[in-house]
Amino acid sequence: MDIDLSTTTVRTANATLRALPPGATARLTNPAGRHNLAVGLTEEITVEIDGTAGYYVGGLSKNATVLVHGTTGWGAGENLMSGLIRVDGDASQSLAASAHGGTIVVRGDASLRAGISLKGATVLVAGNVGDHCGFMAQAGTILVGGDAGRGLGDSLYEAVIYVAGRIKDLGADARVEELAESDVELVARLAKQHGFDHIDPENVTRVASARQLYHWGTP
Amino acid sequence: MSFDEIRERARLGRYPIRGGGARRAVPTFDDLTFLTASASRYPLEGYREHCATRTVLGAANARDPVVLEIPITIAGMSFGALSAPAKEALGRAASEVGTATTTGDGGMTPEERMSSKTLVYQCLPSRYGFNPDDLRAADAIEVVLGQGAKPGGGGMLMGQKLGPRVAAMRTLPEGIDQRSACRHPDWTGPDDLRIKIEELREATDWRVPVFVKIGATRVYHDVRLAATAGADVVVVDGMQGGTGATQDVFIEHTGIPTLAAVRLAADALADFPDVALIVSGGIRSGADVAKALALGADAVSIGMAALVALGCNDTVHDFGPASYADLGTTAGNCVACHTGGCPVGIATQSPGLQARLDPVRGAERVANYLRAITMETTMLARACGKADVHHLEPEDLVALTVEAAAMARVPLAGTEWIPGR
Amino acid sequence: MCGITALQLRDPGLRPRLGALMAAMMAQVAERGPDSAGITIYPEIAVLKGVGHPAVLATEWRLHEISGTQAVAHTRMATESAITAAHCHPFVVGDGLSLVHNGSFANHATIRRELLARGVAFDSDNDSEVAARFLAYRLDSGDDLEKALRLLCERFDGFYTLAVQTPDAFAVVRDVIACKPAIIAETPGWVAMASEYRALAVLPGIEAARVYEPEPEEVYLWTST
Repeated sequence: MDIDLSTTTVRTANATLRALPPGATARLTNPAGRHNLAVGLTEEITVEIDGTAGYYVGGLSKNATVLVHGTTGWGAGENLMSGLIRVDGDASQSLAASAHGGTIVVRGDASLRAGISLKGATVLVAGNVGDHCGFMAQAGTILVGGDAGRGLGDSLYEAVIYVAGRIKDLGADARVEELAESDVELVARLAKQHGFDHIDPENVTRVASARQLYHWGTP
Repeated sequence: MSFDEIRERARLGRYPIRGGGARRAVPTFDDLTFLTASASRYPLEGYREHCATRTVLGAANARDPVVLEIPITIAGMSFGALSAPAKEALGRAASEVGTATTTGDGGMTPEERMSSKTLVYQCLPSRYGFNPDDLRAADAIEVVLGQGAKPGGGGMLMGQKLGPRVAAMRTLPEGIDQRSACRHPDWTGPDDLRIKIEELREATDWRVPVFVKIGATRVYHDVRLAATAGADVVVVDGMQGGTGATQDVFIEHTGIPTLAAVRLAADALADFPDVALIVSGGIRSGADVAKALALGADAVSIGMAALVALGCNDTVHDFGPASYADLGTTAGNCVACHTGGCPVGIATQSPGLQARLDPVRGAERVANYLRAITMETTMLARACGKADVHHLEPEDLVALTVEAAAMARVPLAGTEWIPGR
Repeated sequence: MCGITALQLRDPGLRPRLGALMAAMMAQVAERGPDSAGITIYPEIAVLKGVGHPAVLATEWRLHEISGTQAVAHTRMATESAITAAHCHPFVVGDGLSLVHNGSFANHATIRRELLARGVAFDSDNDSEVAARFLAYRLDSGDDLEKALRLLCERFDGFYTLAVQTPDAFAVVRDVIACKPAIIAETPGWVAMASEYRALAVLPGIEAARVYEPEPEEVYLWTST
């Protein structure tokens, strides 16, 4: 099914997507940066977006696969519960904010605060990430194929960040930890699964919480 | 700051944290009085003639607006800050009297969903426990920008209360001191909030209303911006609003009194006839409710008062005399909310302590209290000659102090003088 | 709070279409700022401002008929100051410097007092005007635009995405936290900046443009050709 967003409202397009049965595929054409596309999906459907999506693409969804053949605005995959969001281009700020589950893949770069407040999802960025990636991330995995900006992992809880490239600097309470065999296996599996061939799983930096902010007794 | 407070900081090396609301004296609704009917106006019969209390919120955008039988809702208090039996009791009480209760920072429990006929689901900066399934199960969504006890600050839950269930719901390690975010992770400012609200409406198929809650600071601008961003209901929480735990400096030194906030918020909504106003922060009596409605609120929310009705600081409780001393506190002056050592099972996650609260009996007390203050509200409205509590207006009030007259913008009693006018 | 759009044309063939392109861009960010709008068009430094919906204003101004080399525009959702034409961005000061701002400054009152003490005059109580006056003051003091913008980052607290144009330059800068949106697109024919991609999507050749987000506290500067 094709839905032309130059002639269909976002509200109608989303209602149509939510009515699709499991296994169905839909294509959204002419997105032109419109917001809130493919939001609130619940079934195992596949949505392809031909072009650039605005804020919150695939947000508040579960089970679905959303493939964006373009770039995305703020909060792509926001609060995702399960399923897959894949962005062929770059992702704007707050990628995968508070996402609980599923996988969010960006083949280009991601801007500031990728994986902010992450709650269990897996976030993979083939390129670089901006400042404050993983800010206050509570659970889940972030894999960065390129470089990371300032304040990486600031106020991190139990989420783990792997960076293949350089790290500008670490945020408060984030620290570099030694790679365990299980880390290498996880990174290798994720890289293989999503075609991130440029990543050498033995040569990533593991960043996790130093856990110094967990109690008020420490400043 | 007292010498004791200086010593406390000297001992801790950090700021004190506590529960409750502002302790300092500020102008309140008690500083206003109603000009009830005599000769120039005629009262309605207090016990017999009908006075409507029904309140409908969010009918402009939502397919299923929130319909309240009384104009008093229960404010957002988290499972985590409160025990599961306390949340359940509040839900039962609200359902019994036909009003709404609200989740909090930490998500929705099945107990509170089942016990609450109308449940408002909060979307907070932390997004702890926030998920689309519960979102769709809610009867309204409340995007929280701040609260009266700590406008500009994030939520807080001390490690003693971050037990296994609460920690799991919040995706946090057990026992850590939780410091929530103060800004939302995926938008900042009303222009982006507008897009966020649209997302929440899309995810719920435009079925339920969207509330936006703010702590009372720059009220006029903030309320107007919340309405411009698309809120159906704006909730304004004044500085007397309580909390489970926060920095003492926030509680006492930020925000403006609820009395001042109502009028500013009502002014801000003058151009938004479809947007409703809920006011909270220190509402205790039917007189408070009636005065807030007269000054422009469509409904009020109560937090602390509902907890007191539930048994907070009470000496006789479901399990018998409450043993405050064993927990290092005293009845009537107990602010152990942040420590998790709540003697009456309300603000605790200790299995032993929370077993002290019977949710059914607790709900009866809260429902009784809600009924009683609703009666007080209608009594005052009838005495002012109103067949609907929403017909109360600022002209029904005068002030007993110059401060209250200035803040509420009603005349000082016996004069036509409104300071600043 | 607001929507920003700005365009600098490199291809002289596009100049007759400047107003039409700006009108199309502004319409896409109208929801971000439905109260009022304003635009500066170069090289004449024609300033148009008004209260009302940006799309209605663009028609009133006959914006689609206006040609030029570059323009910067703003759709406004007023935060703390009044909704009047005087409070509309762009704030045009000094030797034809135009500034638009999305966000809100946290210490503008103090900087306003400092500038007043140095003899700088203001037209409004808008926080964004303080930034414009600050830049003009720095330019008068001999700094170049890039230096002036760096000093602004040092002196101003709060949240901001700024687009600035002078008769010979176009610049973009954001605060260190960068929580107000900004996106830039460049082609051989033009360079544009907007709050949201959808405003860039209306531009000719956007499919082949280099699209990127400005980094926090980096000054992006393009000189006019």
